Amino acid sequence: MDNKSSKYMLIVLTVLCTALIVVSSVQSGFMDPLRNYIGYVLVPVQKGVNAVGTGIYNKIEEYSELKSAYDENIELKARIDSLTEENNRLKSETEELSRLREMYQLDNDYMQYQKVAARIIAKDSENWFQVFRIDKGSNDGIEPDMNVLSGGGLCGIVTEVGANYATVRSIIDDESRVAAMSQHTSDNCIVAGDLKLFEEGRLALTNINKDADISDGDAIVTSNISAKFLPGILIGYASDITIDSRHLTKSGYLIPVADFDNLQEVFVITELKEDVPEEEPET
Amino acid sequence: MNRQIKIIAKRALINLLILLAAFTIQTCVFPLLPVFSAVPNLLLILTFSFGFIYGSKTGMLLGLVSGMLMDLFYTGPFGFYCLIFIYIGFFNGIFNRYYYNDYIQLPLILCTLNELFYNLYIYVLRFLLRGRLDIGYYFMNIVLPELVFSLIFTLFLYRVFLKANKKLDVIEDRRGTNVA
Repeated sequence: MDNKSSKYMLIVLTVLCTALIVVSSVQSGFMDPLRNYIGYVLVPVQKGVNAVGTGIYNKIEEYSELKSAYDENIELKARIDSLTEENNRLKSETEELSRLREMYQLDNDYMQYQKVAARIIAKDSENWFQVFRIDKGSNDGIEPDMNVLSGGGLCGIVTEVGANYATVRSIIDDESRVAAMSQHTSDNCIVAGDLKLFEEGRLALTNINKDADISDGDAIVTSNISAKFLPGILIGYASDITIDSRHLTKSGYLIPVADFDNLQEVFVITELKEDVPEEEPET
Repeated sequence: MNRQIKIIAKRALINLLILLAAFTIQTCVFPLLPVFSAVPNLLLILTFSFGFIYGSKTGMLLGLVSGMLMDLFYTGPFGFYCLIFIYIGFFNGIFNRYYYNDYIQLPLILCTLNELFYNLYIYVLRFLLRGRLDIGYYFMNIVLPELVFSLIFTLFLYRVFLKANKKLDVIEDRRGTNVA
């Protein structure tokens, strides 16, 4: 008897889940209200646990760092001298650069995007996916498809937003595709996340035209033609570019600028690509 | 009868709290620790151990809640995780008839099977369908580490659950005799 009723229960639950999967695949916003309510309860808890966890971890880290700090100190003092010298040189170069920028009216919108800092409070526990959750949501002006930066480079994109949280899919996720281009030649390519390559700290760089002038070490930035990513955000540097076997395209790898192993804080650009006015190309 | 309902409600509440705690630890603490190259799947361990200890129905309900937590927190079609967790709860409940106290081998075997089944489900539906064919690589680098960590945690957690279960039983029995 008990066996039978539990079988019925299984069938009912299976049908229910399948129905939910179908409905939510067709209409993606279907469960958002529920997600939101649960978020109100769980996000504070996650924040607290995360704060404690990070605190303890940092303490341990601090202690182990203290040990090596002494040796490092001596080494660093020597480096300060050489860096001061380099700094002076760079300063003059920066002045030169800004002068040149004005001269060429180079597009430096990238610096001007409005940003909001956010803390990562949870990561997808599935080792299959690279998705994380931040502690800022629609209350802080965050919307889906906003770009997320970390360590000076593109890190991911907001996929879902609740009142006090947002879910971000990082560019190293296996399902991530970013339209990109070479910074100095503007040749288009695609930066694709790949679970396999990520273990080696790389992303795939594909769909490069065979005539495109992209070579190892070139800076790869988000492309103008991307629907969701703002143009000109640095993603990383190209490496090991080779011609594909069919001689139609080239592909290679990309070393990302953002450090995905130690993500704790990120910046969300609170401007959407669709809102940024397209600049008319001068004719 | 009333007492029975009270006991069930109390156990349900305790189980819910345990699940929430496991979920929070799994998503907020483990990923921060670089010592863990993979994250043990605590929710899976909870679902299958409770299914195994208490039977299919409890397993399915716990699976439903675990799956909902996963679904609510991550983007994608809602119900994807619910479905697999419910099935895990149900099938482990079947083994309930082979359940003896202090017998750890079977839970470990079940843990292995569950982990393999669960990861196969994710691999086929989320990776294979997109043309990622290299199953061997994913097995070695993702499934195997997670499996090892989950087994270690099962070894500890399963005993804790058994002890807790015995304790609850004792407390409830004592109350029962007092009333009688």
